[in-house]
Amino acid sequence: MTTSTLINTAPVRPELGDFSSIICFRAVVIGIEDALGEKAAAIALISAGRARGRQIAEQLGLKSSVADLTAIAASLNLILGKEGTRLCIIDEITVDSTIRVSCRETICSSAELQGSSRKLTYTLGAIQGALEQMTGCRLRGKQIESVLRGSTHDVVEFEILT
Amino acid sequence: MAISTEKLSSILQNFVTSTNDVEGAALVTPDGLPLAASIPGGMDEERVSAMSAAMLSLGERIGSELARGSVDRIFVEGEKGYGVLTSCGEDAVFLVLANQSAKQGLLMLEIKRTLSELKLLLA
Repeated sequence: MTTSTLINTAPVRPELGDFSSIICFRAVVIGIEDALGEKAAAIALISAGRARGRQIAEQLGLKSSVADLTAIAASLNLILGKEGTRLCIIDEITVDSTIRVSCRETICSSAELQGSSRKLTYTLGAIQGALEQMTGCRLRGKQIESVLRGSTHDVVEFEILT
Repeated sequence: MAISTEKLSSILQNFVTSTNDVEGAALVTPDGLPLAASIPGGMDEERVSAMSAAMLSLGERIGSELARGSVDRIFVEGEKGYGVLTSCGEDAVFLVLANQSAKQGLLMLEIKRTLSELKLLLA
C-alpha cells in the first residue's frame, strides 16, 4: 500500500486538488467555537481527530507496544506530515510514565498570534486516536507546551488510562 | 488515588438494572472520554461520550449566554423516551437513558441518589 492510497485513492477535485487553505480551516474552527462555545467545539474537534487517527493507524496496519512508540513517528509523518495530509510534523515521541509527542507546524496553532491561548484540538485528537489504535490503550491527552507560548514545539502528553 | 472503573461500572450496572424503565447510563469525562458505561447494544460508547460532554457544555453556554444561570441538567424528551445529562462534579458527566414509561420524579430521585454514590468514588 502506498502512502498516497492511504490519503486518498484519487484526487477528489480535478482542478483544485485535495488541499484547502488553513484560512478556511481556521474559519471553520472559529465559527464552531462561536456557535457552540470553546469547550463544546474542542470536544467535537478532538473527537473528530480521534476518529481520523484511528482510521490512519488501522489503514497503515500499525501495531505497537507503548514502549516501542518512539520508532513510530516516521510512519505517522508519512501520513500526517509533508508527504501526507500536512496536519503537522511529528519530531519526537518519548515514553516514560506518560507518552509525550512533540510536533510543530500543527494546523491548530497555525496563523495564531504569539501569546494566543489557543490549544491543539483536532491535531491532539488525531495523534491520540492513532496511538490508541496502535497500542490498544485508552489515553487521556493534554497539551503541555505550545509554540504560541514560547516553546519550539507543540507538545502533547498522554496519560495511559487502561 | 486511582479511580476504580470496576466500581464505577458496577454502580452504573446496578442503577440500570434496578431502576424501572432505565435503559442505559454512562459516565464520561468533561472532555468526552468514556469512564464507564452500561448502554444498549448498538450505541457507540465513544460517540455517546463525546456527544454527552458536548451537550452539557453547550447547555452551560446557553445558561450563561441566555442568562439562565448555572445548569443543573439537560433533559431531552423524545417520542421513545428520555435522555438526562447531569454534571457529576468537575470530573464527570452522567448520562441516563430511560424509556417513555419512566416516571420523571422517580427518575430524578434515582439519578440524584446514584450521583452521590458516583461522586464519592470520583472524589
